Amino acid sequence: MHQVEIATTRETLLDSPEMVLNMGPQHPSTHGVLRVILKLDGETVMDLDCDIGYLHRGMEKIAENRMYTMIAPYWDRLDYIAAVSNGLVWVETVEQMMGLVVPPRAHYIRTILTELNRIASHLLWLATHALDIGAVTVLLWALREREEILKIFERQFGARLTCHAWRVGGMPNDAYDEFEADVRRFVSNFPMRLDEYETVLSENRIWLSRTVGIGVISAEDAVAIGLSGPALRGSGVAWDIRKARPYAAYADMDFDVPVGENGDTYDRYLVRLEEMRQARRIVVQALDKLPDGPVNAKLPKIVKPPAGDYYHSIEGPKGEIGCYLVSDGTAQPWRVRVRPPSLINLQALKKLCLGHLVADVVAIIGTLDIVLGEIDR
Amino acid sequence: MPLVKIPKPKFIEKLQRFFFVDLLKGLQLTLKYNLGALTDKDAVGGKGIYTEQYPKVRPDVAPRFHGAPRLNMDPETHDTLCIACNLCALACPEDCIDVLAMDVEIIVAGKPRKKKVLDEFIFDTSRCMFCALCQEACPTSCLELTQDFELATYSRAGFVWNREMLEQGRETVKYTR
Amino acid sequence: MELLLLAPVNFIDQLLLRFFSAETINHVIWPFIQIGLVVTLVAGWVAYATYLERKISAFMQARLGPMRVGPWGLLQPIADGIKLLTKEDFIPEKADRWIFFFAPYIAVAAAFITFSVIPFAPDWGVITDVNIGLLFVLAVSSVGVLALILAGWSSNSKYSLLGALRSSAQMISYEVAMGLSLIGALMFARTLSLSGIVSAQESDSVWYFVYQPVGFLIFLVSGIAENNRAPFDLPEAESELVAGFHTEYSGFRWSLFFMAEYAAMVIVSAVAVTVYLGGWYFPFVYRQTEAKGYHNLYVIVSLLIFLGKLAAILYLYFWLRWTLPRFRYDQLMDIGWKWLIPSALINITLSALAIFVVQALDGWHNIRTVQSLANGLDLTATGKAIMIVMGFLGLGITGLLLARINWRSRDFNLKSQRRNIRLVNLPQGKPAVPAVAPAAGE
Repeated sequence: MHQVEIATTRETLLDSPEMVLNMGPQHPSTHGVLRVILKLDGETVMDLDCDIGYLHRGMEKIAENRMYTMIAPYWDRLDYIAAVSNGLVWVETVEQMMGLVVPPRAHYIRTILTELNRIASHLLWLATHALDIGAVTVLLWALREREEILKIFERQFGARLTCHAWRVGGMPNDAYDEFEADVRRFVSNFPMRLDEYETVLSENRIWLSRTVGIGVISAEDAVAIGLSGPALRGSGVAWDIRKARPYAAYADMDFDVPVGENGDTYDRYLVRLEEMRQARRIVVQALDKLPDGPVNAKLPKIVKPPAGDYYHSIEGPKGEIGCYLVSDGTAQPWRVRVRPPSLINLQALKKLCLGHLVADVVAIIGTLDIVLGEIDR
Repeated sequence: MPLVKIPKPKFIEKLQRFFFVDLLKGLQLTLKYNLGALTDKDAVGGKGIYTEQYPKVRPDVAPRFHGAPRLNMDPETHDTLCIACNLCALACPEDCIDVLAMDVEIIVAGKPRKKKVLDEFIFDTSRCMFCALCQEACPTSCLELTQDFELATYSRAGFVWNREMLEQGRETVKYTR
Repeated sequence: MELLLLAPVNFIDQLLLRFFSAETINHVIWPFIQIGLVVTLVAGWVAYATYLERKISAFMQARLGPMRVGPWGLLQPIADGIKLLTKEDFIPEKADRWIFFFAPYIAVAAAFITFSVIPFAPDWGVITDVNIGLLFVLAVSSVGVLALILAGWSSNSKYSLLGALRSSAQMISYEVAMGLSLIGALMFARTLSLSGIVSAQESDSVWYFVYQPVGFLIFLVSGIAENNRAPFDLPEAESELVAGFHTEYSGFRWSLFFMAEYAAMVIVSAVAVTVYLGGWYFPFVYRQTEAKGYHNLYVIVSLLIFLGKLAAILYLYFWLRWTLPRFRYDQLMDIGWKWLIPSALINITLSALAIFVVQALDGWHNIRTVQSLANGLDLTATGKAIMIVMGFLGLGITGLLLARINWRSRDFNLKSQRRNIRLVNLPQGKPAVPAVAPAAGE
């Protein structure tokens, strides 16, 4: 348990000690069961500590006792907002360790659906972030577009949130019949919706005054802490695994990486909005180039990667999702380790929050875009 | 904190800010939605209403949806398709399937043979995460996850489905009001 | 029609005259009946205001809102009321029990007492016409904050305490701006009686918001802040302080706070309507009804007009709430002290100046501006035109002066707020290839 030191001596009224405020684990805007212990002087944050682990399910230990094929559904429950991306990192790690060559059609469909999932995840981030700052209407508008994506997921994978999207070596089913039409309909409507959010938020002076200059982190600090994803790019570091170590079909895609300049909440907001536009661009390209063919590689009867260890990471919606896999040559992994982007991004919370007000803590938790399922695992 | 590369505001931007154009644009959009919802009941052009009135209107569930499990039967003979091969139980990550088989003696080509047939099938839906690995493992398309998604019951015991429930389907109250 | 409307009233009057003297009836019994009526109506209105808010917010958010209880969910407020009444009345163990008990009642009482001086319509539409009506409204409605502070303190919860502190600071700052903004309008009306203000606008046949656009805007903004409505809903900011001062309240006591909030909202809108939008006055109504002898019809039409204007202002409240994000605490204080109070002071100066100029112009070069001073300040058409021009000129002047005062303020400084992001086309790196060569035969 973390403890924040409190002055225990009785002091006079004028010289009163700071107040310790427990924010969470039951709090409307800690995005789950995060507990933040704040030391407040008035409403200014003097000190801060995070208490995590309320959602610990022992995912990595469970994975040691399951066959390789059985682990994928558990992977969905790490970052349940971006289950498709999470599933992808697991199957790609196993595939690359085994040296399986996945057919290009599977790669393209994976690219399309992970990008759609990136949009869905960013939409949910926008919804909750706007809700934390008080713009409730954007919440439901964003959820409406997310619903369209979840419908596509339901038709493709059979589930909406924790989809169990991929199998080692390819996909459970080929794309359903109206897949292309559905995706095209979504991408044609989507820019208009994004403009609507921008109308309500981007230039709004209240939104600006709540986000500009709040939670500033410099590029050096961001790299030192190990931030990844939009939180890193908001600080001005142009780093994207989709470009640096392309996986799936990203090597064939043409897209830009949005990079902020000041590393504050507003820049991260702009970066994520632009990422949604770029994701849409990738989806359109992948749909245009979508090749025909099988979607599954030829698999051995039992999935058994050779003994050894391997690390693979992809650019998830929240940052670098990594998977370190140690195999001893049997049908069950010897050790699995996840690199959860949310956990590492959360480490910046103290640095971002000190000196700000309670209301800003909420905004900063929102801007880091954490998911507790992934932090606690 | 250093703020780098700030574009100099244009006069028109200053003027817009002076007259609260930023706030008015947002207000105009919400008003458009409000009036649109009052005049237009269909979900078109970003004006309509997207609510699904669930118990009144049943949702349109995708054919691939992973919902309540079912043991399919041969449509003609009404015998179960299950051959008690136990593959689904092996494939299940959560160990929520139990296949109990029994041996019956049948006569094949005049000789008595033992054959494994299904006795009881236990499916614990409270632990199931609907990953559909069992459905993919089934060699005879017997076990299937259907589109039925109303799985709530009043007791923990009600989540454990036996063979009869899996074959005949469970009785549920369908709320339509 | 006249007789039909009056018949029950006359009947009750006759009945009462058998038991009481005429004086008792006029000063005790009838006010009680009126109060009972108003309280019932206001409680009903508060309940349906929640329904309206839920529906309006739903439509703005592409939803349907309450639909299950009754047709289009029309019985939803009643269902809510029954639910709240039958809920457990939970009191935290360490709470200060008695203060915790009484805080909601103070809130509701403060909100409902104020209705006694609001002129809903002429004649019998006024419960009591106090000659310091406006002061009374301001004084009693600010008692409401006491309830919030008591509730926040007695809950013995840190979130409640923070909410209470926020609400007290907010009330103090915005009460000043609100009071100052009304002075401009009072210069024209020359009375504090709310009925008097309405009749002053009627005799001048004008709504004061055309003379006082600055005052009207300040009053609306500080009214929203006074009622803890978004975007100024800091005392109960649900994403920061869970529910602020009523975090620990549940059931009926919570619903009392809720009623108080909506009733306070109705009151601020009613004052705004009375002072700036002419109350129940609407052009042509008097000539069409009262002048032709239909007295009660006149009162009822006036009442409907009043309620219509009230609804318009309430819609504005809902509209703002569901569009704008929430301010931060220090920004709220900034707006109160750096923007609203200076602009209220500027408004007072400019209005005084305008009135002086208009009065000085009277009689100069045969220009007639002032008609009479008997019932407020009545201007001729020329005077009105000059006054309206000066009012809207005042809007510009106030804006420019404020811009000058707050030139360095972060809220105004565009330079520190706008910026762009860049799009980088990163060079492509080495693809993540399979670690081992595909094993043959597998």
